[in-house]
Amino acid sequence: MEITWVDIICVLAVFLSLAIISTRRIVGMIQIFSLQSLLIGLLPLLINSGMPSAREILVAAGTILVKAALVPAVLFWAIRHVSMRSEIKPLIGFGTSVIIGAILIAGAFRMSLSLKIPWVAQYDLLVPCSLATMILGFMLLVTRTRAITQVVGYLVMENGIFLFALLLFDVMPLLVEMGILLDIFVAVFIMAIIVNHINEEFEHAPATFNREKMGESI
Amino acid sequence: MLLLLLTIPLVCTVLSLLPMNNRMRIMLLLLVSLGHAAMTASFWRALPGAEFNGIIVLDNIGLILLSVISLLFTSVSLYMIGYFDHEKRNNRVFVLCLSLLMSVMSLVAVSYHIGLMWVAIATTTLFSAPLISFHRNKNSLEATWKYLLVCSVGIAMALMGTFFLAISAHGLDTLLLPGLLNGAGQLSGNWLKLSVIFLLVGYGCKMGLAPMHSWKPEAYGHSIGIATVIMAGGTTQCAFLALVRVSQICSKAGLSGFYSSILILTGIISLVVPAVFILGERNIKRIFSYSSVEHMGILILGLAFGGPGIFGSFFHMVNNALAKVAMFLTAGSIAQKYGSSRADDIKGVIHAYPVTGVFLLAGLFAGTGMFPFATFFSELMILYAAILSGHYVAAIFFVVCLAAIFVGIARVVFEMVYGEPTVPVLAKKENKFMNISIIAALVILAGIGMWLPAHLENIINGAVQVASLK
Repeated sequence: MEITWVDIICVLAVFLSLAIISTRRIVGMIQIFSLQSLLIGLLPLLINSGMPSAREILVAAGTILVKAALVPAVLFWAIRHVSMRSEIKPLIGFGTSVIIGAILIAGAFRMSLSLKIPWVAQYDLLVPCSLATMILGFMLLVTRTRAITQVVGYLVMENGIFLFALLLFDVMPLLVEMGILLDIFVAVFIMAIIVNHINEEFEHAPATFNREKMGESI
Repeated sequence: MLLLLLTIPLVCTVLSLLPMNNRMRIMLLLLVSLGHAAMTASFWRALPGAEFNGIIVLDNIGLILLSVISLLFTSVSLYMIGYFDHEKRNNRVFVLCLSLLMSVMSLVAVSYHIGLMWVAIATTTLFSAPLISFHRNKNSLEATWKYLLVCSVGIAMALMGTFFLAISAHGLDTLLLPGLLNGAGQLSGNWLKLSVIFLLVGYGCKMGLAPMHSWKPEAYGHSIGIATVIMAGGTTQCAFLALVRVSQICSKAGLSGFYSSILILTGIISLVVPAVFILGERNIKRIFSYSSVEHMGILILGLAFGGPGIFGSFFHMVNNALAKVAMFLTAGSIAQKYGSSRADDIKGVIHAYPVTGVFLLAGLFAGTGMFPFATFFSELMILYAAILSGHYVAAIFFVVCLAAIFVGIARVVFEMVYGEPTVPVLAKKENKFMNISIIAALVILAGIGMWLPAHLENIINGAVQVASLK
């Protein structure tokens, strides 16, 4: 088996998701997310051999612009208040999260063995790494109490879905591809505004949600 | 023609950014809604041609959804004229989101590409979030957050389902609906099954079907009635349209047995859960939100039973929208008058506000499917389909849960309408604009219940043909 750049980037994406889970500061989480998005944004250029086509360049540029630049900028705007800079009281501790994350990655690799893609997949690590990234993002989403961390979790999950979508690069029209990208940006934009409102409204109370009230939320 | 339909609401979006007062913006929205309704009415005479290489096509199923959307926005914008007389908060973002929703929801109705449909449905989720948080208090912000998170995860699952569908359709190299239907025999079975499960869970989350309904009582309970009507009658039914498309693909690919069995399971859970939870509720908006879960369950049950059930489902789409207009707008006007929607604060509505009291009673009967409202007939058709297709256990669950839900709603509504009157917190007069839109919805609902116009019947029959083409 020959190791390609695509495989290397996929593995790095999983490592970076694990790094996000183990990071305490929210600024750090957003920076790592931005790096992860930059790396997977390069993938459309590498996935087909030879010179990249105009469509591949467009998707790569769009992804890098939106996910690695605009989205982190909006998130930094949302946490400009000092009180929101670090995660407090996650449901599962940081050390435990990493161990559980590692188990989940193993599970994702095991699961991908039983997913038989009808055509021969060129890159062996694309599917398991995409599943692992999705599951880690989902774990971040459900085990953290801060609204902003939950947004980062959602975004990591979206990055995993993006990896999976590379399998279908030739089937999806450009219109849909761009629509998905726009959707993610609007989602983050609206979430950031709501986080901002939440922050203003809960300024006097602790800025985290009251777990009893949020109990059945996810 | 279809592109014009999608762009008209965007004019309102752009204009609503200009500095103007609340009343002007609502008038603009009303104008655009009437324009949308006029165009939809013209489609009733003849369906327009396809655009964008067959990506944007209107068929009879889409036409029903489009008519529902026109109807919802027209009644809501009429109601808003009255509502914003007593509401001082600026409605710029609110009207902006409503007009964007009008455009995007119409896009759901006309998109024939499964990927584009996902984009449109995801966008409806996003633009309905600012509607929920209109009042920006603690409760509504919490509800908005919960809605955003649960539905975003759901929508992400639906995207995975769409990708699985694309893998299963690898030999066809298309995600256009006609292409998928024609080549349904070549779809790879296991990937299609996986895709169907993901799509059902994802779009079911958006519809608020039972195990995924947890956002509904919060979001509907803490947002203003106008936002709730658009969501309960509009965006959730957009997600239902997606499930109808999945059902079309499944029946062509010979998976209809598998699909209807999981639909029936989800549908029954969506009837049992509200029947249990509604009995402990004291807040009228939350009670109506459980009723909305129930109606979504009824919709997918009709689809699953097949035969007359499919007609019942499409008919129920129209009826559900009308009933939701009556129920949630009445709840909204009560909440505005009393400053609360809890049954403990609201007693003797019929003495203080006789017209609203009557509306509340009528809303109870419309929402629980009583004669002469059309909901009665569509629910009866779906029950008939259950018996016809031999699902006797499901039929028993259907009847028992509907009865329990009626008791649950009636208990609180009668207490609110006839209870010992308390002094209203914010004494305000009845508003004619608010009342006109509620009366119109109730009259149309009772009207099509007693006499179904031949034209509407033809359109629904056409939709049934599109849906069950073997």
